[in-house]
Amino acid sequence: MANMNMIQALNSAMDIMLKKDPSVVLMGEDIGYFGGVFRATEGLQRKYGEHRVLDTPIAEGGIVATAIGMSVNGLRPVAEIQFADYIYPGFDQICSELARIRYRSAGEFFAPVTIRTPCGGGIRGGQTHSQSPEGIFTHVSGLKVVMPSNPHDAKGLLITCIEDDDPVVFFEPKRLYNGPFDGDPTKPAVPWSAHPKGEVDEGYYKVPLGKADIVRLGRDVTVITYGTMVFVAAAAAAAMNLDAEIIDLRSLVPLDVDTICSSVRKTGRCVVAHEATRFSGFGAEILSIIQEECFWELEAPIQRVTGWDTPYPHAFEWEYFPGQARVAMALKTVMESA
Amino acid sequence: MKQYVFKMPDLGEGTVDAEIVAWHTKPGDAVTEDQLIVEVMTDKAAVEVPAPVSGRVVSITGAPGDKVAVGSPLIVFEVGEGEGAAASPAKPAAPAMAAAPAMAAAPAMSAAPAMSAASATSAAPAMSAASAASAPAVRQGRVMASPANRRRAREAGIDLSLVAGSGPGGRILRADLGAAHAAAADAGAALRSAQTVPARAEHAAETSEIKVIGLRRLIAERMSEAKRNIPHFAYVEEVDVTELESLRQHLNRSPPDKGASLSYLPLVVMAVTRVLESFPQCNVLYDAARGVLVRHRAVHVGIATQTPDGLKVPVVRNAQTLGLWETAAEIRRLAERARTNKASRDELVGSTITVTSLGKLGGIASTPIINAPEVAIIGLNKAVERPVVHHGAVAVRRIMNLSSSFDHRFVDGYDAAAMIQALKELLEHPAMIFIPKVASS
Amino acid sequence: MLMNKRSRLHLPSPPARPGEAPDFSYVELSPAGAVARPDVNARARDIGSLSLTLVRVLDNAGEAVGPWHPHLEPSELQIGLRHMLLTRLFDDRMQRNQRAGKISFYIRSLGEEAVSVAQCMALRPGDMLFPSYRNQGLQIARGIALVDLMCQLLSNTRDMCKGRQLPVMYHSKAGNIFSISGNLATQFPQAVGWAMAAAIKGEDHLAASWIGEGSSAEADFHHALLFASVYQAPVILNVVNNQWAISTFQGYAGGEQRSFAARGPGYGIAGIRVDGNDFLAVYAVTQWAAERARTGAGPTLIELVTYRAAAHSTSDDPARYRAKNDQEHWPLGDPIQRLKQHLIRLGEWSEARHQALAAELEALVASSWKEAAAFGTMNEGPRLDADLMFEDVFKEMPEHLQKQRALMRTERG
Repeated sequence: MANMNMIQALNSAMDIMLKKDPSVVLMGEDIGYFGGVFRATEGLQRKYGEHRVLDTPIAEGGIVATAIGMSVNGLRPVAEIQFADYIYPGFDQICSELARIRYRSAGEFFAPVTIRTPCGGGIRGGQTHSQSPEGIFTHVSGLKVVMPSNPHDAKGLLITCIEDDDPVVFFEPKRLYNGPFDGDPTKPAVPWSAHPKGEVDEGYYKVPLGKADIVRLGRDVTVITYGTMVFVAAAAAAAMNLDAEIIDLRSLVPLDVDTICSSVRKTGRCVVAHEATRFSGFGAEILSIIQEECFWELEAPIQRVTGWDTPYPHAFEWEYFPGQARVAMALKTVMESA
Repeated sequence: MKQYVFKMPDLGEGTVDAEIVAWHTKPGDAVTEDQLIVEVMTDKAAVEVPAPVSGRVVSITGAPGDKVAVGSPLIVFEVGEGEGAAASPAKPAAPAMAAAPAMAAAPAMSAAPAMSAASATSAAPAMSAASAASAPAVRQGRVMASPANRRRAREAGIDLSLVAGSGPGGRILRADLGAAHAAAADAGAALRSAQTVPARAEHAAETSEIKVIGLRRLIAERMSEAKRNIPHFAYVEEVDVTELESLRQHLNRSPPDKGASLSYLPLVVMAVTRVLESFPQCNVLYDAARGVLVRHRAVHVGIATQTPDGLKVPVVRNAQTLGLWETAAEIRRLAERARTNKASRDELVGSTITVTSLGKLGGIASTPIINAPEVAIIGLNKAVERPVVHHGAVAVRRIMNLSSSFDHRFVDGYDAAAMIQALKELLEHPAMIFIPKVASS
Repeated sequence: MLMNKRSRLHLPSPPARPGEAPDFSYVELSPAGAVARPDVNARARDIGSLSLTLVRVLDNAGEAVGPWHPHLEPSELQIGLRHMLLTRLFDDRMQRNQRAGKISFYIRSLGEEAVSVAQCMALRPGDMLFPSYRNQGLQIARGIALVDLMCQLLSNTRDMCKGRQLPVMYHSKAGNIFSISGNLATQFPQAVGWAMAAAIKGEDHLAASWIGEGSSAEADFHHALLFASVYQAPVILNVVNNQWAISTFQGYAGGEQRSFAARGPGYGIAGIRVDGNDFLAVYAVTQWAAERARTGAGPTLIELVTYRAAAHSTSDDPARYRAKNDQEHWPLGDPIQRLKQHLIRLGEWSEARHQALAAELEALVASSWKEAAAFGTMNEGPRLDADLMFEDVFKEMPEHLQKQRALMRTERG
């Protein structure tokens, strides 16, 4: 075991997979010689050569498309899109192509591409370095969508995704790269070295897709969340002295419906929290599922905590970010209803 | 020979209709597959349409300038057996309920006549509901409670409309349920019986609503359309079926298939088919859109059939080619398929005349409604033994009435009566049914 | 007033609209045999002029002339003629089938048969093809059975796509032909990726892809050229300049200012312009590009100058936007007629043999259709199980799709 931050854990996953499987290639803007703007691929080109870790032109559509072509020809590309905000030029290739090649060719062609991309705010990135577009991709049939919240899960999930024969969009909440974050920007940053999930196995291991992690067991209320919001939500519930059950989804598609529903059946109350915008956001899907599956167990209307339905404003980052106060309001509402 | 109905294809991506520009064929023409038959114009393109099969054109739809909806019949071909079997849309996989546009081909599921099944749906609202005595104040409007509390109330047998809510806006909280439960236990038999023993009186007030959809709606529409548009000429005549009955019983002693006994229906269908040779004006479909009466040489007899879903009219095709037992078997087969909802669309369309019989419920007389666009319907009433004057003496004879309706726009009363008299003649001397008519010179 | 000031906005327009005389004077031609054939290892920067001239081998009399003459055996030419004629007759029959309501949609390649057929014949079976929707000649030249193509068009029980794609969006895993996309130009950079993988893996296959000149306006065209150039990928990128993108004249794709082949030199890729209706020239140029790719001399951008003699698709009517019968005035003629003329001139073909071949192929198309229709048509015969709708979204069906599938079954009774 070693202490790693999320960057190091991701680097370790790619290192292991490059070594283990000669069909794995990395590609992306600045990822080779430079090692990536967040350093996630640092040292890997030097170690595995220019044929395995490819720098690419600044062309997201081209990255995804060539990754598809490579994957169709037997490689297993891990493509980095430098920021999730820059994924849209590749959107057609992802939605119309990557997600459907298996389907439209009746399974004869498939594209085991993993697209890694940093997402989320809290780093003063403004509207072009802060988005959480995961809900857009969960809406596309044929894509798996993953978002870890800690180094241990990040490494195990990335290895699973690279080995998966279906395409995966792998979102990395960049506010959590270097340490857990409880939503209070005024407090000193906490490094992963102080957190149990910063303890990472140095070898090969997998974390399954479609299996949520129950971060904290509780009886009063279920809080369903993922990514940056995991620690924010836990902190807010603790501050209210609630015995909350905190569920970190980790993988949005496929989704662990069983874990969500058994928790809600137990508590009868639920808050769903994500950083992304609300309207047609992924939270709406979770609410629908709970309503369909657990309606008669509900003591109160389910509450959503999300980013606002606006672009991520640079100057009002903390007003936009769904911090502890917004979570607390939702918890209060859901606990008062009976 | 069989018919191949070529429907207007979707010539663009998602076009809904096409305008006829020019016909290059007409009814009676022989065409070969791929021969240019019609030019049409969609909103996207002018298109030359080739014949999908080789055959003879029976009918075409639409004059130049007319718009024809995609999916509606454009041309009917008569093709040789096996033609177009593999590639043709002769048997569209469309559901039987599809309402086909008015054309020479009869509509999808003709709802015919006579079978005005007496519906006894009125539920008598005899008594008003007895409300539970001594109940707490009943809430105005809807009950407010969380889904979980509604479930708890249901499981505990608590009527939430009787529970006072102490939450915001009168919402029923879990604690309120607990109180209600205790109160119910104390309140004694009166309340308990009101909650748990459903009184007959309550049910007496109930009505139930049955939506008029699907086949029933189709029947309703077609019935009212026929009744509204067609001036019905009704004609009832008495037929002495003593000899017919004697023949029937004789034949039933040695049926070709065990258990396949004859009813009057196949005999009447045979007789009607014979009679129509002399009354072609009754074997007609009226194409209102074109103002044309289409006379059919072939006799396709619709058999009004009661099914669990309602009235259906499966069709005995080319009845003129069938023998008695074949006719009987075909009627039996079609009725069974109609009843079990297995009849294909083809088996439910295309009749040129309809026969309706209520069997034992046949009554003395009825006024059947014409199965448009046909122009005649023959109804069978119940065959019963009656004292009648026979050869100058009162005798017990088996009598059956025929109640028929004709479209008075196209069939004059005289012709209608003459046809029924001819039918009576055949039925009273049933051997004549099987003796070919002497060709008139 | 601005009357005396010329607008700086240029609006391209075709030389002839309906009612006007066809005018192809804008097409820059070179005499047959006039363009030099550089060594296959020539550097892209040294052969820039190839992107502006027009490689032609067959002259107007049907004689093969000049340095690009590929010197094919007559038997090979006869095979090429057969494939082209079969492509055309297949197209004709499928067009009529669409008009007769037997299939929902079709796209012909009329007048462009030499592009797919000659190019496919100049490549090796292991080379991967990334076609557009107008490359049926590739399928035919690769030997894909007509029945298989027809079953795809019918979306029937033997449809390779299991009913999921629009007609003509074929694929052939065994034939090394990638799944065709309805999205424009997406296959172009994918072919480059495939070629990069071949290089990474140390194999000597190449990839080839085709798009129309209109699709070259998509970013993916540029992705393809850029990646091909950066990695010098073993790929042949073909722009089939058939002058029209539905109703949009090639000038709107930038063809007025500079040839499409000239995009190549801009990216440091060899660009070459060839008479797309000249079977021999197309073959020779493709063979040259393939040799470059295989020997590490890099990618080639080929502009095949041709004419879309038919409508864009069965939904389109070119009479509404271009001069009537203008394909008859196309200066580069018809590919089938020209190869036929050449073979007759060689003494290796005759009118009678041509008639016999046409009859044979017509019969093949007809019997194939009969066979295909037996697997179901839009209207009758066996139908695909609706359950298939839920398969192949993923390798293994996740629970939510299983549930939806069960729901659908309940719904259908």
